[in-house]
Amino acid sequence: MSTLATPFGETLVEPDNSGLPDEPPAELLYKHRVKYGQAIRNLWDNREIVYTLAERDFRAQYKQAALGIVWAVLGPVATLIVFVFVFSRVKAFPSEGIPYALYAFVGLLCWNFFANAMSNGGNSLLANKALLAKTQFPRECFPLETMGVQGLNTVISWIPLTVLFVIFGRAPTLATVWVPMYMVIEVAFAAGFALSISSIIIQMRDLQQLLPLLTTLGLFATPVIWPFSEIPTSYHLAGGHLVHKVTLAGHVHAHWVGGISVNLQMVYGFFNPLGPVIAGARDTMLLGHAPNWPLAGVAALGAFMYLAIGYRIFKRLEEHFADIA
Amino acid sequence: MPNGAIEVENVWKKFRADKTVPKFYDQMKRVRTSLSAPSRREYRWVLKDVTFDVPPGGTLGLIGINGSGKTTLLKIISQVTFQSAGRCVVEGRIGALLSVTSGIHPELTGKENIYLYGAVMGMARQTIKTRFDEIVEFAGLTDAVNRQVKFYSLGMQMRLGFSIAAFTEPDVLLVDEVLSVGDANFQQKCLKRIGEIVRSGTTLLYVSHDLASVEATCEKSVWLADAVMQATGPTREVVSKYRAAVEQNAALTTSTEGVVEVLKCEIESADGGQPRSETDLKVRLELRSPEALEANFFLGVSQGSAFPMFIVRYSGSFPAGDFEVNCRLHNLPVSKGRYSLWPAMSGHLGGKGKPLLPWRPAMSFDVMGPDAYNLPEGVMVQTNIYVGADWEVN
Repeated sequence: MSTLATPFGETLVEPDNSGLPDEPPAELLYKHRVKYGQAIRNLWDNREIVYTLAERDFRAQYKQAALGIVWAVLGPVATLIVFVFVFSRVKAFPSEGIPYALYAFVGLLCWNFFANAMSNGGNSLLANKALLAKTQFPRECFPLETMGVQGLNTVISWIPLTVLFVIFGRAPTLATVWVPMYMVIEVAFAAGFALSISSIIIQMRDLQQLLPLLTTLGLFATPVIWPFSEIPTSYHLAGGHLVHKVTLAGHVHAHWVGGISVNLQMVYGFFNPLGPVIAGARDTMLLGHAPNWPLAGVAALGAFMYLAIGYRIFKRLEEHFADIA
Repeated sequence: MPNGAIEVENVWKKFRADKTVPKFYDQMKRVRTSLSAPSRREYRWVLKDVTFDVPPGGTLGLIGINGSGKTTLLKIISQVTFQSAGRCVVEGRIGALLSVTSGIHPELTGKENIYLYGAVMGMARQTIKTRFDEIVEFAGLTDAVNRQVKFYSLGMQMRLGFSIAAFTEPDVLLVDEVLSVGDANFQQKCLKRIGEIVRSGTTLLYVSHDLASVEATCEKSVWLADAVMQATGPTREVVSKYRAAVEQNAALTTSTEGVVEVLKCEIESADGGQPRSETDLKVRLELRSPEALEANFFLGVSQGSAFPMFIVRYSGSFPAGDFEVNCRLHNLPVSKGRYSLWPAMSGHLGGKGKPLLPWRPAMSFDVMGPDAYNLPEGVMVQTNIYVGADWEVN
């Protein structure tokens, strides 16, 4: 279109569109630039939207149910009953001298937060399609809002946790003060997953079908019902030589001397920060140990790596959310 | 750029034109080709080279038929989606009323929704709290505010949505086709509220199929068709261009053939000049019929739509062969503008159901006369009827 001779709209102008090219000239093409600092500031300015959306989902969860918000407590209580009755008879894994029900429940609390935050967060953009296509606040609000809802559900689950402590005549140790640190790591990890999954699901709905499967697999791949200490701290990779020893009882014991070995716990902890998080929560809250700092550090590094990658994927794909949702 | 200004410069937007859901095999093929060569997907342009600007406090209407790109343009301006090419800058806080029910959660009560939607529209919780009563009052939902929204009627939901948006006080307000569901009372209230918002200095971008409401609210307008701008300028002129195009389209799309043919159509004022408001109008039609008819003959006058502003009828018999119909319309009650004349004949003929003369514009004509008035705020006229009046103020 030629430049307008008069200020826009003062007179009737009927642009001659006959010379219009089929494609826009290359120099006009729009590049979606993401400024991360600005995006994060913008998100912070809109934090109230995150609270409000979380409140909406939390309230809507229990609307029209006769028991209302009581259900938020009943769910974990039901799990609790299963735990107490089943695991007072079955002892599947060693639990470091802690009643197994309590031991496993702490793991399950951590796992539930992660699994629900990941699956609800992953589906959050699709679930909010209507809002996504019509309003313009930061899109990160949707996956992050589910963190809030699941956080609240986890806090409610502390009620049955307290009951378990009472049943077994125990109390959380002083080292429980370290638990929030582990929770921060977990939230970062879950947020990273929720951000990346939610933005990919919009383009590839297949992932939506795959998600429950991944969650089930994850439950067993994470030390929820088994102790983290099952993972060896020293795993032989190559070199060195094997030394056999015969103990007094007559058992043959073999171990490697020299060569290259790795601390598998550290490796695992980096790629699945949930392992050290669950182990750390148990160690501090139930056993009263100080945090395993190197392990916690590796887990934090891993979790924030997931968060950074997830956020980057999200921002990269964000441009087309409203078009294809 | 001052607060509240909108600048849209050479904006282009493309959409994927995928007709079916891509199958796994195709997806894989696409991934492979996109890895080896730059992706060449099929797409269609929904906006081509759109340029306009709105000064702070200005009002701009966007008109055009369904699918002409109006809503996409609003979405780009509100940064819900992004343009494929070009530049679009908006200064200040945007309040986008793209769909009044989109932010509303059906399971929550009206009250909870006001807080939710208000926050989504960028209102601070404290502000919502102070304006809560005003919003409820405006929506007329005082009795229903504690009820779940899924038990609201569509009209109530719409009222709730509009009322929240109407109190967000943005610098730029984008309104898309939202008044169409409310009842007449509420529509009028909305227009009035929009007028108030505009007067307080907010920039307005307004999309509607209801041309009367566009004329009532916007100084300037842009007409979009087939992804390109057809006309820009003062609303009244743009709207009349658009109306002419709609009529032309209606004439082209009525394809049924009638029994009777229109050979010629003439219009003049009773005194021989150009048609004028409040003056008798003489219409002369030459027609041809294969046989003698007993029929109703209609003449209608319309402006920018296939539905007439008024209609006159003659019942009687018509001869076979060529014949002439003369009609004198008394005191032509339309104001200055361009209108269309639609003849039609219905009645009985041996063959069943076939229209004698289908409803189709025969010609368009300009009427001289006084300009339409500037209307009181929040009011729009349904049709451009002109009625002369004698006044006396004592």
